[in-house]
Amino acid sequence: MVGLSLGEKNFIKGGIAQDIRTDGRKRLTYRPIFVETGVIPQASGSARVKMGATDVIASVKAELGKPNASHPDKGKVSIYVDCSPTAEPTFEGRGGEELSMELSTALQRCLLGGKSGAGAGIDLSSLSIVEGKVCWDIYIDGLVVSSDGNLLDALGAAIKAALSNTAVPKVQVAANASLDEQPEVDVSDEEFQQFDTTGVPVIITLTKVGRHYIVDATAEEESQMSSAVSISVNRQGRICGLTKRGGAGLDPSIILDMISVAKHVSEQLINKLDSEIAAAEACEEE
Amino acid sequence: MEYVSPEGLRLDGRRPTEMRQLRAEVGVVAKADGSASFEMGNTKVIAAVYGPREVQNKGQQMNDQALVRCEYSMANFSTGDRMRKPKGDRRSTEISLVIRQTMEACILTHLMPRSQIDIFVQVLQADGGTRSACINAATLALADAGIPMRDLVTSCSAGYLNSTPLLDLNYVEDSAGGPDVTVGILPKLDKVTLLQMDAKLPIDIFENVMQLAIEGCKAVANYIREILLENTKQLEFRRGV
Amino acid sequence: MAGKISNTPATYTPSPTSQDKKRPSIFTGSDWVRPDGRGLHQCRPAFLRTSAVNSASGSAYAEFGNAKVIVSVFGPRESKKAMMYSDIGRLNCNVSYTSFATPIRGQASDSKDLSSMLHKALEGAIILESFPKTTVDVFALVLESGGSDLPVVISCASLALADAGIMLYDMVASVSMSCLGKNLVIDPVSEEESYQDGGLMITCMPSRNEVTQMTVTGEWSTPKIHEAMQLCLDACSKLGKIMRSCLKETVSATQE
Repeated sequence: MVGLSLGEKNFIKGGIAQDIRTDGRKRLTYRPIFVETGVIPQASGSARVKMGATDVIASVKAELGKPNASHPDKGKVSIYVDCSPTAEPTFEGRGGEELSMELSTALQRCLLGGKSGAGAGIDLSSLSIVEGKVCWDIYIDGLVVSSDGNLLDALGAAIKAALSNTAVPKVQVAANASLDEQPEVDVSDEEFQQFDTTGVPVIITLTKVGRHYIVDATAEEESQMSSAVSISVNRQGRICGLTKRGGAGLDPSIILDMISVAKHVSEQLINKLDSEIAAAEACEEE
Repeated sequence: MEYVSPEGLRLDGRRPTEMRQLRAEVGVVAKADGSASFEMGNTKVIAAVYGPREVQNKGQQMNDQALVRCEYSMANFSTGDRMRKPKGDRRSTEISLVIRQTMEACILTHLMPRSQIDIFVQVLQADGGTRSACINAATLALADAGIPMRDLVTSCSAGYLNSTPLLDLNYVEDSAGGPDVTVGILPKLDKVTLLQMDAKLPIDIFENVMQLAIEGCKAVANYIREILLENTKQLEFRRGV
Repeated sequence: MAGKISNTPATYTPSPTSQDKKRPSIFTGSDWVRPDGRGLHQCRPAFLRTSAVNSASGSAYAEFGNAKVIVSVFGPRESKKAMMYSDIGRLNCNVSYTSFATPIRGQASDSKDLSSMLHKALEGAIILESFPKTTVDVFALVLESGGSDLPVVISCASLALADAGIMLYDMVASVSMSCLGKNLVIDPVSEEESYQDGGLMITCMPSRNEVTQMTVTGEWSTPKIHEAMQLCLDACSKLGKIMRSCLKETVSATQE
């Protein structure tokens, strides 16, 4: 994908070892994050996040649906990611599918919590309207418009921003519905509810290059990685999900060290994102 | 359904010969050789151009001209109802082909033999006229990539509803089932490179509608020129010329 | 309406235990017994055999409680012509479920996802440089799903690779863990998996003490992750020993 000469490779690796990367950042510094909300007016909520040359859009659509028989008191959330060929010519046709799927599963793992629903970024019980009958189906779609590394973190941030931008209409349930009939619901056009997004975790990917690891790697740096660990951390500093990429094995102690680094970095990232999201929302309202 | 009110206003408050708000930006995808976003009202597309570069599939290489390829894709969230269609459905394939043929006609392919130019268009929001918006975005992206072209192809659509020719149909007007004439022209050369219409229309009315679409194309061309000029001025400024 | 009511009692549908989705309260208590009577930190008995499929270059069969998995390895064979030249070998993994693997027909997990997980877990352990320009196929078939399917598939696949004589840095052993309330439960069965608050899976090369793949879902605190990782790694090294002895058995059996 990225064609680099031996000299360039050594330059990147040497820079990381000396804590000054090719773009002048330190190992644990992010690129400036730029958030724009409400980019897709047709969706219930949407956001665009740019980190350097990485550019992703997330949209949230809420539809009325039927809850799963196994969890009648819960709504459903599904996450799909699509890699546009505009980002990389190799994504043409079915070329992006593998990466799309990898990103989708990683996001599901990081944001949707365990099977019982514990630790989920979105409280699924809040999506229930009539138990066992009607609930909200939340569809989260991510689109990679331009890729320059660190897609997972950017998508995670975009989804967080899109969710805080999301307004779900208030629903009135007709009271006279009998037990086995599908109840009639009235979706309000004027009244909307905001999501509580304080629990949505952020994803931090630590990319290991040589003996050190870095955050927010660019595509060039990613091409030199031995492995990468993506950790999602919520505001309470708890781990909500973890995935590892890359073939090379890692010593267990390094993973534990990475977790503690991720927790440390997450605080700054959450605060940064929150202020960016607030600024973007204020900008949109004007 | 009434698409034009007695006062002569359309559903979204436009006059029959009024275009939607245009907005364009050059260089939206940093890694591409050329890229642009183009908005026509609520329709919003992004185009990225990669190339000229080495031909990926050697079997397709041509010794006298460049290979132009195009892929049109729609984001899941681009339509009102969320859709999850597999890539490469018939509609996308058709539009890819239309865009490819239109762009191929204006690129000076003989200057770049044995090379390949990829045009990728991504629809972020669809509200009618995605074909035209894609062609306009692709033109801008090709210009941004510095690919030699005969002229800037621009495209616009026009329709005929309630016995009134309407410029630049939106989704509601488009789905009314009336005729939809999409025209692509080379404005400087005054040549038509794309003409599509479904549904029937008397020839004399068709001429009017097509003329309206051509006027639309010319307006788009003026706008695109402005954007490119602005972009060039900025580049010049950054270089300190 | 009347038609509906008359329909219901006419047929009998067996409802598997997993249908009962009400989470038992004992899961949170400390003196609770697991569905199959194991201790909290006790793995299911493992049964492993190599050379289960004659036509494959290498294969293995694994049975962990109810989970039954068969993995066959083909190759290394010449990579497809369409693929570009590569000076390292390629690994192609595919996981599939039989239609009768789950209590309800066709309710298996996404096999595409499992295939890519299997690929990621194995690629770090195989010395791909040893067979350039060629491809190794790993086909896993889950005969019966019984919980912790992926770890069983991964361990079984590494055994099959070893049986096929593919060069490995080390055997790959994989163990998963569920978090149920306060308890950490190793090697969960399907029922436990469906109630779990969080899950953790580790794939490691025991003698090199390297983690090749790790996934975590649900909310975890750092001390809990430490504890779970330690338990999993312990279990992995034990499983690694069992896998080794299984390989040795086969070799000594053929020599006799």
